[in-house]
Amino acid sequence: MGKRLAGIFWSLLFLAVPVLGVATFAIAPAYDHWLPKDVSEHGASIDSLFYFILALTGVVFVVTEVLLFWFMWKYDESKRQGEATYIQGSHTLEVVWTIIPAATLLFLAIYQMNAWADVKMRRPAMSPTVEVVARQFEWRLRYPGRDGTLGTADDLFLVNDLHLPIDEDVLVQLKSMDVLHSFFLPNVRIKQDAVPGMKIPVWFKAREAGSYDIVCAELCGWGHYKMKGRVTFETRAEFDAWLERKYAEQGATQPPPEAADVAAAE
Amino acid sequence: MNTSFATLRSTLLLAVVVAAVGCGKTPPASFRLNMVQATKTAAPESGMEKPWAAWASERQGQVATILEAMYGTPDEPVALAETGLDLAKLQLAAGPVRSDIVGRKNGLYREHCVHCHGISGDGMGPTAAFLNPYPRDYRPGKYKFKGTWRDARPAREDLTRVLHEGVPGSSMPSFALLPPAQVDALVEYVRYLSMRGETELALYTYAEQELGVDDTLPTTKEFLVDEILTPIVEKWQGAEDARIPIASVPTNVDFTKPGDDPANRESVARGRVLFHGDGGCVKCHGVTALGDGQANDYDDWNKVIVEWSKEVSGGLGSAQDDAGRSAWLHAAADVIEGDALRPRTIPPRNLRLGLYRGGRRPVDLYRRLYTGINGAPMPGVGPSGPGGKGSVADAEIWHIVNYIRSLPYEFDGELGADRPMVAKDRF
Repeated sequence: MGKRLAGIFWSLLFLAVPVLGVATFAIAPAYDHWLPKDVSEHGASIDSLFYFILALTGVVFVVTEVLLFWFMWKYDESKRQGEATYIQGSHTLEVVWTIIPAATLLFLAIYQMNAWADVKMRRPAMSPTVEVVARQFEWRLRYPGRDGTLGTADDLFLVNDLHLPIDEDVLVQLKSMDVLHSFFLPNVRIKQDAVPGMKIPVWFKAREAGSYDIVCAELCGWGHYKMKGRVTFETRAEFDAWLERKYAEQGATQPPPEAADVAAAE
Repeated sequence: MNTSFATLRSTLLLAVVVAAVGCGKTPPASFRLNMVQATKTAAPESGMEKPWAAWASERQGQVATILEAMYGTPDEPVALAETGLDLAKLQLAAGPVRSDIVGRKNGLYREHCVHCHGISGDGMGPTAAFLNPYPRDYRPGKYKFKGTWRDARPAREDLTRVLHEGVPGSSMPSFALLPPAQVDALVEYVRYLSMRGETELALYTYAEQELGVDDTLPTTKEFLVDEILTPIVEKWQGAEDARIPIASVPTNVDFTKPGDDPANRESVARGRVLFHGDGGCVKCHGVTALGDGQANDYDDWNKVIVEWSKEVSGGLGSAQDDAGRSAWLHAAADVIEGDALRPRTIPPRNLRLGLYRGGRRPVDLYRRLYTGINGAPMPGVGPSGPGGKGSVADAEIWHIVNYIRSLPYEFDGELGADRPMVAKDRF
C-alpha cells in the first residue's frame, strides 16, 4: 500500500507543475506582474511575437507535462505486472519530432525578421538626438545643442535624466566608458548592449508622454543593481522648453539663488 | 510510512531549521579609528614604563571611548546639540539598510556610499583600492568642489551638488534621481562623519602636544566641547557665509557662443595670455593644456602617507637600540601597509577632454580658478581670503574660463574637417 501511495504522490506532484505554471501566468496580470506598459510604436510587434511564442511553448509545455503525469500514473511500479517490454525505438517517431520543431524554429526565424529589421536594421536617416554614455554606475547624456551636431562647443551635458520628444523618431548614440552595460528601456521594448569602443545606434518612436525607468541589463559591477536612470517622454514643445532650461543652467555664471533668498525677495 | 515520505519530511524540516537559525550573526558595525594619525602622533617619550604597544592602545582606547560618547556608533549616531547636526536626518542615513514602519528607506549611507567611502568615512571601503582617484576621505574635513574660500568647509549646497551631479572622471556616480530628502540626509551624514573625523584628529593632536606620558585625555565638557568641538563646528557653520564673491562677466564674453565665435575671440585670446602668463596654469597643465606639465605631485590625503612612510623607513634603520622607538616604527610600517591605501600621484587635468570633475558651468570653472582646489596642488588665481589680492583680477578670471571652455573644441573652427582625428572621435 505504501508504494502505491508514493506513486500517487509523485505523479500528482508532477501534475502540479503544469497546473501551477498555467495558474501563475493566468493570475500574473491581475497582480501587475506582466509586461510593463508599452509606449513605443514598434513595441506591439515585439509583444505579439512574445505572445505568439508564449502560446506555442505554452501548449507544448502543458502537453508534455500532462503526458509525463499520465506515464507516471499509468506505469506506476506498484501496478506493474510482469517484465517490462524492451523496444528499439521508432525511426518514424524520431523523424517526426525532429522535423516539427525544426520547421517551427525556421518559421519563427522568418516570421520575426520584420520586427528585428525595424528595431535593429532600418535606422532612420538622421543625426543622433542624444548620446548616452554608460558608465559604472550611471548614464551620462550629451545632447547636440542648438547646432544639432555632437562634439561641438554647444553640447549639453546631463546625467541620468533623459528627456525625449514623442511622436517622432529619436536616434540614441550609445557608448560605454568602461565595461559592458545594457541600455534597457522596458517601456519602449528596447534593450541594447553598450560595448566599450563602439558607437551603437538605437532608435524608436514613443507615442505617449510619461516618465519611465532606464535600467542596466548587463551585470557591470558592484553597483549594477542601482544603475538606474529615468526617461521622460514629452511633446516636442515641452522637450524644447526643457532643453532651453537645461541649457541656461549649464551656462550659469552665478550660482542659482537659494530657496531662502528667493523667498526673501518675494 | 515509507522512505520517500520520510526523506521529504526530513529535508523540509532541515530547510526550516536553517532558515530560522541562520548561518551566524553579524556583529554590529563599529567605527574604525584613524590608525594613521593615531600611530603617527604616538611617538614614544622618555620615561615610558609600559611597552609602547600597550601604552598606545590604552590611549587609542581613550579616544575611542570619547568619540563613541560624542558621536555614537554607525547604527546609533549621536548628535550633540553643539554640533547643530539634525539627528533625524542622521538616523535616516545611518544603520543597516532597511525600511521603517511607514515604509521609509533607512540606512542610505550603507546602501549608496559605504562600499567606497567606508563605514567611518575614511575613503577606504572594500572597493576603494581599485579606484583611481581614491574615494574622498571625509575625516580631515577637506573638500574639493565647493563655492567657499579655499580653506573653508563646503556649504550644504556644495555637497548636495556633488551628490546630484557626481564627479565625472572619477568613480563617483550621480545620485540625481534620489528624492531630495534622502540627499539631504546623506549630506548631513557626510558632515557628521567629517566632524567626527576632525574631532578625532584634534584629540590626537592635543594628546601629542599637551599630554605627558602618564596623562589621560580629559573628559570634561569644558575640554571636549569648548576646546575641541567648538572650533570644528564653527568652521562648518561658517561655511554658509564663506562663499567667494563672483565678479560679473565682462561684456566681451558670451558663454552661449563657442570659443571661436567673433563674440568671444578677443576674450579667449586674453584668457590664453593669462593661462600662459599671470595665471601660471602652464606649469602643471602644460603649454598644450594636455595636463603634461609637472605630474609627480600628491594631493593632501596621499601626501600624509608619502611623507610619513619616508620618515618611518628612514627611522627604522637607526632605531635598533631603542625598544620603544623600534616598536613604534614597526607599528607605523604595519599601519602604512595595512590601514592606508598605496599613495597615488595626482596628475594635472587634461583640459582638452572637456571633462570637468567639479562641474562644467562657467561658475564652476570660475570657482576652481578663483580658490584653486582645496587638498590638491591646484592653486587659486584669486585672493586667498576676503579683501586680499590674487594673481589675476576677479573679472579677468572669466577670460581664462572662456579660454578653457574653448580648448576641447579648438581645432573645430580653425581646421574644420581636416582636423587631426583624436581618440575622442573614434569612440
